[in-house]
Order: sequence, then C-alpha cells, then structure tokens
Amino acid sequence: MNEHESYSEEKAAYLLNHLELILESDPLIDEVGFIHPSQFVTLNEEIGQSVPSADDISTTLWSKDHKLGISTHALLPLFKAAKREFVDAVTRYKELSDQCGENGVGNSPCTVSSSHSSVESEVMKHSRVLLLLSCDFGTAWHSRKKIVLKMHSFSVFMDELHLSALVLSYSPKCEHAWSHRRWVIKSIAGKCSTLQEIVGKDSELVEKIAERSKMNYRAWNHRNWLVSHMSTDQVLHELTKSRNWAGLYVADNSCFHYRRRLMLRILEDSRHRQENGSTGHNVEIHQLLKEELEWNEMLIKRFIGREALWLHRRFLSLVLIKHFLSDQIGTSMDNDFGIFLDNELRLLSSCSTIPDSEFEDYQAQALHSTTYMLWLVKQVPEFDGIGVQEKLRTDKMKVLLNDACPDRSFLWDYLISEHCLKEN
Amino acid sequence: MEIFGDMGELAAEKHVEYILSVEKKKDSFESVVMEHLRMNGAYWGLTTLDLLGKLHAVDVDQIVSWIIKCQHDSGGFGGNIGHDPHVLYTLSAVQVLALFDKLDVLDIEKVSTYVAGLQNEDGSFSGDMWGEIDTRFSYIAICCLSLLHRLDKINVENAVSYIVSCKNLDGGFGCMPGGESHAGQIFCCVGALAITGALHHIDKDLLGWWLCERQVKSGGLNGRPEKLPDVCYSWWVLSSLIMIDRVHWINKEKLVKYILDCQDLDNGGISDRPDDAVDVYHTYFGVAGLSLLEYTGLKAIDPAYALPVDVVNRIFIGRQSKKES
Repeated sequence: MNEHESYSEEKAAYLLNHLELILESDPLIDEVGFIHPSQFVTLNEEIGQSVPSADDISTTLWSKDHKLGISTHALLPLFKAAKREFVDAVTRYKELSDQCGENGVGNSPCTVSSSHSSVESEVMKHSRVLLLLSCDFGTAWHSRKKIVLKMHSFSVFMDELHLSALVLSYSPKCEHAWSHRRWVIKSIAGKCSTLQEIVGKDSELVEKIAERSKMNYRAWNHRNWLVSHMSTDQVLHELTKSRNWAGLYVADNSCFHYRRRLMLRILEDSRHRQENGSTGHNVEIHQLLKEELEWNEMLIKRFIGREALWLHRRFLSLVLIKHFLSDQIGTSMDNDFGIFLDNELRLLSSCSTIPDSEFEDYQAQALHSTTYMLWLVKQVPEFDGIGVQEKLRTDKMKVLLNDACPDRSFLWDYLISEHCLKEN
Repeated sequence: MEIFGDMGELAAEKHVEYILSVEKKKDSFESVVMEHLRMNGAYWGLTTLDLLGKLHAVDVDQIVSWIIKCQHDSGGFGGNIGHDPHVLYTLSAVQVLALFDKLDVLDIEKVSTYVAGLQNEDGSFSGDMWGEIDTRFSYIAICCLSLLHRLDKINVENAVSYIVSCKNLDGGFGCMPGGESHAGQIFCCVGALAITGALHHIDKDLLGWWLCERQVKSGGLNGRPEKLPDVCYSWWVLSSLIMIDRVHWINKEKLVKYILDCQDLDNGGISDRPDDAVDVYHTYFGVAGLSLLEYTGLKAIDPAYALPVDVVNRIFIGRQSKKES
C-alpha cells in the first residue's frame, strides 16, 4: 500500500520507541484500538489539540484515559519495526542463555546475569508491542512465558493477565491471549491464596467480552475451563449470576451451555457428597432443574422460535428424567413424571400450532418444539410402552416436520417410521 | 452432473490462479500478520491445487526446502522460519510432504517422537511445550502419527478415552471435558476416533441429528446453533457426517449451491458467505466440501485425513503409484 511507503525505517523505529514509552508510562492502559487517520483529527480535538499538529506522533498514536489508539496507516511499519527489535532481542537472549548454560552456575554470574536481565526486559518490551499489533504471534507469547517462569514473581504473572486482557480488548477471539490466561492460572494454582478471586475475575472478564463479542466460542470456552478451578460456592454463585445474562441474550447458545456445565458440576459434586452419606443436596438440585425448566418455558413463550432455548430444554428434561424421574416411568401418571410429561405435551401442543400470520418465527417454534419432543422420546427408551406415541400424533408431526424442514426428510422418515416411533 | 441443473459452476481455473497469486501479495498488514501460520496456508493452498489437479503448477523443491527450514531440533515444525514449533504446523508440514510424496525427506523417528511426547497421562495432547490441551491436538497428533505409521508410539487407548470424555449430552464434542459442542471440534474427535478404529464410542443417530441441524435455509452449514452459515463448515460438518454414515440427512444439492454462491467469479477464491472477501482457508474448505459432495472434475478427498484419497492410498496401501510414474 502506498501510504506505508512514506514510513522510513528510522521513522518507524522512532514511532515504535514512542509507543513503547506510552505503554511504560501508563501501565493502566486497558483498551487498544486501531483508528483510521481521519479519526485522529477528532480525537486530538477532544484532548485539546485544536490545531491538528502535523508531527508524526500526533497523527499516529493517541492515548487518553488509559485508552490507546494506533493509526491503521502505521500498522505495517510499526509491526515490521517491532518484529525486527523482537527477533534481535530474542536472538541475543538465546545467545546469553547458551553462554550461561555452558559456563554453568557460579562462573562470572554477575556479568552474565546483569546483561541477561537487561535483554530480558528488552524481550518483554518488544514482545508486548508486537502482540498488540499481531496477537497471534505465538512465538512472542512463548518468549514471555519463558521469562516470566524464571522470575518467580506473583505480580509479573498478574501483569501477564493484564496484557492478555489488553489484547482481548481489540481481538476478543484471540486464542493465544485466552490460552495465556490459562497458562498463568495453571502456573500459580496451588501457590497463591487468591486463586478463587482471580478465577472469579476472569469469569467476569469473559462476561464483559461476551457482551461485545457475541457467541464467542473462545471466550466461553475459557469460562467453561474456569469451572474446574471453582469452589462449589463459586459454582452456585456463577449459576445465579449468569441467569440474567442468558435471559438477555437468548440466542447465545454458549451462555446456556455454560449453565449446563455449571449444573453438571453441581451434580458431580453432589454425587461425591452422596458417596459420603449426605442426601440433602439432591433435593436442591432437583428443585434447581425444575426452576430452570420453568424459566426456560417462560423464555420460550416470550422469544418465539429460538433454537438455543429449545436445545437447553432438551438437556434439562433429559437430565431431570435420568437423575430424578426414571424410576417413576410406567408406575402411574400421578407422580412427578406424570406431571412433567403432561406439561411437556401441553407445551408441545401450544407451540406446534402455527397461526395464520405465517411468521417465520412461529414456523421455527413449531419445528423446534416438535423435534424437542422427538429427541426426548428417542433419548429415553423407557418412554416405549407407556402410550406416549398415541399422545404425540406422529402422523401430524411428520406432516409438520416435512413442511417446516423438507431438507431433513430422510431424518424424519427414519425417526418416525422405522426406529423410534411408529406412525399412527 | 444433472442434479445440479442450471446452478453456477465451479470456477476451477480462477481458483487456481487465485491460490498461485496469494503467495505474491506479501506486503500488506493483513498478510504479514498471517506469516506465523504460513505452513497451514501452504497446506490449504496446495491441497486445493491437488484436488483441482494442478499441483504441478508449483515448485516442489522450493517448497520442500522451505518446510525443512521450519523444523526445530525438537522435531516439531514452526508455522514459518523462525517461529516456534507446534503440532498445528507439524501436521500441515507432514500433509504437504505427503501431497508431494516426499515424506522420505523426514527423519520420521524425530518428528514422531516430538508428537508422541506431547501426550499427557490422561491421554490428552498438548499443542506444544506450553501445555495448552485441546481435542484438536488429539486429532492432529493421531492423524500425523498415523500418516507416519507411528501410532504405536502413543497410548491409543488413553487417547480415545480422553476424546470420549469430551462428549456432551447432545452427542457432540468440545475442546475439553465440559466444552460446548462445536462442528470443528466434532470433526477432530470423529476423525481421531475413525483413524483409531473407535467410532463405536459415538451415538451416530444422536450426533448425526445435531450435525444435520447445522444446515440452515440457504443450504449452508453453521458450526453451532444460532450461528450464520460459513463455507468452512461444509468441511467440518460434512466430513463428520460421512464418517458416521449420516450424510443423507442433509440436503446435498442445496449445500453445493451454497458453496458455489460463495465464489468470487471475477478474481477466484471462495469466501465464508456470499459476497464476502475470499481467502485461502475458505477456498480450501469450499473445494474440499465439493469434493466430498462428489462434484465433477475434483479429486476425491479422504474425510478423516483431509488429504486426497490417492495420497492416502499411496501411504497405506503401497507405493505402486510412485514406481509406475
């Protein structure tokens, strides 16, 4: 691109140096963005530079209130300059490490270690800028890990979490940045007393990022991973906390999956406790599942045709049946299972009627409700022989499914005729 | 092919030109920030060329010598010269060498020792020495070792049971135990189980159902519920459906049309969705998807190894083709 040619190597080095100074002088910078040059005029006016000065820095770098902006026109020259410095520092660091290794500990440690630590800080400085410009540069993340491990300092680990969050502020899907957080947490686990607090804060970070970056798999995967480092109380707290969020973003399957992950963890914890002779918690989980089902039904009726809500219901019903109702199936219809089944059939019948208006949402609702019921019947073999088939009106179901989604006709044929349900 | 009626055709020659041109556009910010994964790019581009029957358009010796320069003392490969090694790039390096029938340039013992060394006690695999664990790395390690005939270097039983522990109640798989089902991760888990002969761990009806629910009205496939369709899932979902024998549960004609609609007919290349910008990644997945759909004029691709079938046969059945040629 032409505009990049106007940056000489010296000029790029000068800008890089200034960028590194900004980062050093304000360690609290928590957001970075790439800005088109035309926006710089407006931004500079905001910070009181009414006459846009023509010098290189004010047209390339901007920072205020712990926010950092970099001109999109300077990205390539800055990247090249940062990479040059980084590669150079890493090469020198490697040479020194090799020397150290050869000399062994005890041979002129002073000279080696003092130059060592200055090269280390060079690597840290340049890798940071490099990662702000190119977050997937794995080798730069790795070089930081190597040095951080040698420092044995809790605050240095915390600085890494900060850098990762800064990268995520402009690239919320950056896999390396998420993985770097897990590496930090694994490295300090068992060695620090504030782990629960750090895990809790990381969970909040995911929620904040998920707000701007919808259905971000990497972000939610990190939150799922955090669950294994949470205490039982934290898990319960997370379940309460994430409910509001899920209710606001009903199309975000990832948040519902997160709730499933939390519920399975609670079930798992309770199994462990049961093995030790306590049963009280079981009742609580049963209650929790029932409440989640009621809440989900409310959402289903409010937000018509949302796939994520129906998939969540598949999970909730299956877990409820498998853990709490399976021994009641077939005994009588006057028990919790009977009540459950009645409710689901009522829900199916209200959701599978498509009003004349023919809104797409209602058709989706009919499809999702019908496949929900079919799915459940197929997953719970005990349904066989308690007369569910007659209640389901499979002939009508098949017409509806083929109408709403003819592309899956082979699946519908398979499910209704051959395998799981006989046509009536 | 009659079933495709009057729908557009694959602009094969344009795509070849596009792929050959990508290497030349090196000096933009967008391309320099991708330099760390050039090895993956080489695999996507070259496999596409091979599927289109145009692998001879590139300089083999030049590519092979570049690949060798990306190898580290540990045996693993970096994504480019000077970049740290990772299994992601190691598999791509092995796959590209397999395309060219040049696996013999490798010190197979060394590469396979690197990959096998990344297995953890619970059967999972780290991506590199920094310990990130993901079912993608399980697939990569298993695929790579299988191509090198060195599966005996790992504990396959543990590797399988780790993958099975990542299975969800919806039949799908995530990155780790308890991770959300994702079509890309599902491909990795199904592929790894297929290669190790352990597909019986999968409830094929349940997973097939989840996978076929990925097809949206336009005919394209998404990777998770409520997401937009994307050409890359033509590969991840389709190959998984084929491996578990449930591909007849989706509408294949509509998918072919969707992929063809994502072509840039003027400049070549395929994008994620119609009218978006093209890239090598989506071009590969589009062409590979069409190959799985038996589109005329394309070489067949193996759904588990993600390499042309003739390449896979050469590795596992014998070396006749080389001797003959």
